[in-house]
Amino acid sequence: MKVFVDSQRCQGHTLCSMIAPDAFQLSDIDGTASPVSEVVAPELEDAVREAVQSCPEQAISIEE
Amino acid sequence: MSVDDIADIDRKKNRYHFDRHTPEYRLQFEKITEEMHARCPIAWTDTYDGHWVAAGSSAVFELARCPAVSNHHDISGETPFQGITIPKASRATVVRGGILEMDEPEHSIYRGALNPYLSPAAVKRWEPFVDEITRAAIDERIETGSIDFVEDLANVVPAVLTLAMMGIELKKWKMYSEPTHASVYTPEHSPDRERVNEQHREMGIDLINNMNEIRENPRPGLVNALLQLRIDGEPAPDLEILGNLGLIIGGGFDTTTALTAHALEWLGEHPDERERLSRERDTLLNPATEEFLRYFTPAPGDGRTFSEDVEVEGQLFKKYERLWLSWAMANRDPSVFEKPHEIILDRKANRHFSFGIGVHRCAGSNVARTVFKSMLTAVLDRMPDYVCDPEGTVHYDTIGVIQGMRHLPATFTPGKRLGPGLDETLEKLQRICDEQELARPITERKEAAVID
Repeated sequence: MKVFVDSQRCQGHTLCSMIAPDAFQLSDIDGTASPVSEVVAPELEDAVREAVQSCPEQAISIEE
Repeated sequence: MSVDDIADIDRKKNRYHFDRHTPEYRLQFEKITEEMHARCPIAWTDTYDGHWVAAGSSAVFELARCPAVSNHHDISGETPFQGITIPKASRATVVRGGILEMDEPEHSIYRGALNPYLSPAAVKRWEPFVDEITRAAIDERIETGSIDFVEDLANVVPAVLTLAMMGIELKKWKMYSEPTHASVYTPEHSPDRERVNEQHREMGIDLINNMNEIRENPRPGLVNALLQLRIDGEPAPDLEILGNLGLIIGGGFDTTTALTAHALEWLGEHPDERERLSRERDTLLNPATEEFLRYFTPAPGDGRTFSEDVEVEGQLFKKYERLWLSWAMANRDPSVFEKPHEIILDRKANRHFSFGIGVHRCAGSNVARTVFKSMLTAVLDRMPDYVCDPEGTVHYDTIGVIQGMRHLPATFTPGKRLGPGLDETLEKLQRICDEQELARPITERKEAAVID
């Protein structure tokens, strides 16, 4: 699985890193998110799927 | 009737009499929300000179992010941009409401100055400081077995922290807190209004004094951030700085108080859920916090003005028409949330809009969550058997601006104090704040506060 955060859409709500802290990192300056690694470790896939569904801005997408 | 009038009637055919400032709106919130979702997720109402209301999640999402939807507030009144308030405040408005009443690119210039003080990493540094205020506020009541969760806890912690982050003396928290809450819940026609306005003026004067002091002798904090900001080489106008400071206070105080009080009231009514939340807090505290945010939506919505003719979700809007974006109603949309009117502590896929959506996402969202979690967990640890008194509980009569509470008295099995009371603690925290320069931005200071 690959994961992407659309930086134009992300507004730093931080829900993704709350749900999948090992898959998403937040900017120290404004809290906007980026994937820790584009390729998702198998054990993080479920949490990343949940993060996709939880993002208020619909900024996260995945490629299975 | 002209062709345009007929077109207008057709354009506004989805109508709903919507008045969120009435007590009926609070009492019938679920019914009104369900009706609007079923019949008209975007509706026209004739109230307050006429405006649109977006109630459905998808409508709110698209409109909040639409470039033709403006937050701007024209104080001069020369153009019909009236910012985020519907109706316009009757009090003479002399300043814009900070970044919340600005559009791009201006908004991002100011927001960029504030973000390094409010980001998740920046706020995390304050956690030991917040826990210490919470500890002291609870110690004031712990031996007595009774507390008013609003007055004695939820009003205190957000106010003290907000002042600390701004760079204003902690001991002044009451001078700031009282008018900030009271001006939300005191109706315009109330006999108390003049007293509240007077307190509000005193707070405003103190804020201006602080601004002048910090301009002369800079000390770290959000006030300094705005004073140091340069726009095309020039300092930001004083009135815009004041507007932003007012927004930080208004946004920082009443909303977190409202969230905490409502969550504590609900947990008091559901002791099994309270016990479960306490026991399973490692996994449950985060989703439960988001669920309380969704369900209670302390700031229930925002006004906007259309800056262009635009079509969104099949609805045609005209330039200068006004719009109410209801975060609170979007948060109950059954197409997004299963059992939307129930609190489910471990709810998944909780796409709530309680901090707004788009570029105006609440700048203090990380502060709100941190302060809320500190107060909630301290109550769960130290007053686990509390029982609220419904007779003494006072909700705001209306939820048009903030869904808040004035009183939430409770009793519990008394416990032991863990340290000094509030006044002594605030003196100590002031010293720590000054010595460690806690109010510096994350770009200048990475370490967490150390409470000695």
